[in-house]
Amino acid sequence: MNHTTTANGSHTGLEVSTDAVETEIRDRADPSQVLADRVAQLYRQMPIAIAATFIAGAIATFELQGRWLKELVLIWWALVVTFSAAASLLLYAYYRTADKVGTAPQWLRWLGIAALGNGASWGLAGGVFFRSLSDEQQVFLAFLFAGMASVGIPVYAASWPIFALYAAGILLPFFYVLLTFGNRLFVEIALLVPLFYAINVAIAYRLTQVFHSGYRLRHAYGRLTQDHRSLNQRLERQLVELHEARRQVEASGRKLALFAERAPIAVLELQPDGTVAEVNQAAELLFGYAANELVGGSVKKLVLPKFHEEFDRLWRQLLNSRESMAGVKVRNPRRDGIEIICEWTVTPLVNIQREVIAVIAQGRDVTAQLEAERMKKEFTSTLSHELRTPLTSIIGSLQLINSGVMGEVDNEIGELTMVAERNGQRLLDLINDILDIEKIESGKLNLAPEVMPVDELVREAMVLNKAFGERFKVRFQSHGDAPERKVHADRKRLLQVMTNLLSNAAKFSPEGAVVDITTEDAGGAVRVAVHDRGSGIPEAFRTRIFGRFTQADSTATRQKGGTGLGLAICKRLVELMHGRIGFDDRPGGGTTFWFELPRHAA
Amino acid sequence: MPARPLNRICYVEDDEDIQRIVRMSLERVGKMTVSVVSDPTQAIAVINEFRPDLVMLDWMMPVMDGPTLFRQMKLRPETSALPVVFITAKASQRDLDELKSLGAAGTISKPFSPKDLPEQLRAIWAALPEAA
Repeated sequence: MNHTTTANGSHTGLEVSTDAVETEIRDRADPSQVLADRVAQLYRQMPIAIAATFIAGAIATFELQGRWLKELVLIWWALVVTFSAAASLLLYAYYRTADKVGTAPQWLRWLGIAALGNGASWGLAGGVFFRSLSDEQQVFLAFLFAGMASVGIPVYAASWPIFALYAAGILLPFFYVLLTFGNRLFVEIALLVPLFYAINVAIAYRLTQVFHSGYRLRHAYGRLTQDHRSLNQRLERQLVELHEARRQVEASGRKLALFAERAPIAVLELQPDGTVAEVNQAAELLFGYAANELVGGSVKKLVLPKFHEEFDRLWRQLLNSRESMAGVKVRNPRRDGIEIICEWTVTPLVNIQREVIAVIAQGRDVTAQLEAERMKKEFTSTLSHELRTPLTSIIGSLQLINSGVMGEVDNEIGELTMVAERNGQRLLDLINDILDIEKIESGKLNLAPEVMPVDELVREAMVLNKAFGERFKVRFQSHGDAPERKVHADRKRLLQVMTNLLSNAAKFSPEGAVVDITTEDAGGAVRVAVHDRGSGIPEAFRTRIFGRFTQADSTATRQKGGTGLGLAICKRLVELMHGRIGFDDRPGGGTTFWFELPRHAA
Repeated sequence: MPARPLNRICYVEDDEDIQRIVRMSLERVGKMTVSVVSDPTQAIAVINEFRPDLVMLDWMMPVMDGPTLFRQMKLRPETSALPVVFITAKASQRDLDELKSLGAAGTISKPFSPKDLPEQLRAIWAALPEAA
């Protein structure tokens, strides 16, 4: 029911709309243009009217003059000539006018007057001459009037009121004369005159309508043509733009395809159901399958069966979140059965309706990399054990000798064993520092943070480094005790930082100097600073002081020990504990090294 | 703190050089009585004979490593109550935590200082409950 109504409605709607289109098209015509066209048509016909009037007038004058009031006929002829001349002048004036559109109503009025005058001149002839004419002449005149009236139809067709005026001008006096002639036949003829008049006017009216409609259509068509032309131009411009856009899209598409095709990493285009749509050359090489062996099949061919369940889970997650995943490690079987580990970046392509239309998977073989990482880890661990064990024996032996528990040794031998112990220790420090840096940089250093008072930490560090200070004849002194200052940090690692700063300060201060340690609040942080009386940090060294294997003066390394890694480790450790580290020149000479850690809210 | 002072130490270690240094350190510096075992599989027998106050185990040894020996000691009534200290060069914090939870008395990391080793052991001894 509803459907039928709709169908009917739409059908009717179509018809209405066709009418509407026609109306709309006609309405596009400018009325003043249409009027101007009609006026032009009327004026174009004027020469015919003038010529017909002149010729018919001449014949009539010739025919009538001999019989009755010769002068009167000549006067009438003069009138006709004058009218014709006036009409010619009017025509001339019209053609001289530049603005035929704006002045069209005015020209129409003048033409109306001229037509009335023309008709009236014939009417005058009928009214004045008819009664006194012979029968034959009367027939001639009647014939002439009928002819002249009909000539008016094509001449004034573009404006039926003008024709009506013109024909009325001819026929009205004639009608009156016939009616009052006193002859029954003439009365009957007279009664036919209005009938013919009405018919003629009706024909003229119809013709006017045709003209009017024609001109309207013509102008509407002109307008349409114009609209059509500008529409065409616009379309052409848009086509050019579209073509350019398409060219650009194609170019970038080709570029992208080239990127994917030539990329050193495997690129797979997958359909949302996991079917492989396209693969690049790198993917073929990586997995050992030809493209046509993969395309059209499920991507699970590249996943070990025991991981299919996990793959399905990840795939669902991908389709649901519509967000790309990076760093997904998957064990992929090659065609030859060898298993490789690939790291995948998977990106869903989403259309405007937020539907996943494709998934781009980019994979890189990381098997060798993982193996290298494993070997590095193993190497580090081995280094750690295999180097420390002999060092334990070396340093241990020397320590036992140097501590004197084995009895006194000769002075010079004692000096040498001291040198040996010190350098053994340095080697051990270096190994420890390298392992530390390695651990920190590979992100494998696990901190065990605890809340502790900063003062306690400073005291512990001073106790630990007391012997070191004594060796360099430097005394550590702390200032600014405040037990309520606490930080959340790894005790062992923070002590390592403190030990580095204190031993540096001791090494680079002159004998007998005091190294001050201060703790203070710095905004939301606690700042621990170690102030030395050294020679300061050389300008060239300042920017790389926290870098690896850097020491201001390589001779200092030999004289004072140290690995050149200490401050690099300190910086990384402090930053791992969300703090920062730095140094300032000290007024009066020396340097202050400081670190700040976020203060733990009690 | 146990009532008597720390005196008798049994040390299980495969590296002879380290054995020598530890023995000298404990005997010379610490004035203790030391028994060193090179073969971990013989350790329990030696311990039962020597009757030490405390056992020191190397972590990494061929044939049987320290933690394995430790677990075996825990299973035997005659050795299960003995305080055990590990000497190790590579144990991670997690390994150490695990040993602590199994009942290790303490750990000493390699390289240790032979000068300070007796002191470190006495500190661990002092921290033990009296019953030991």
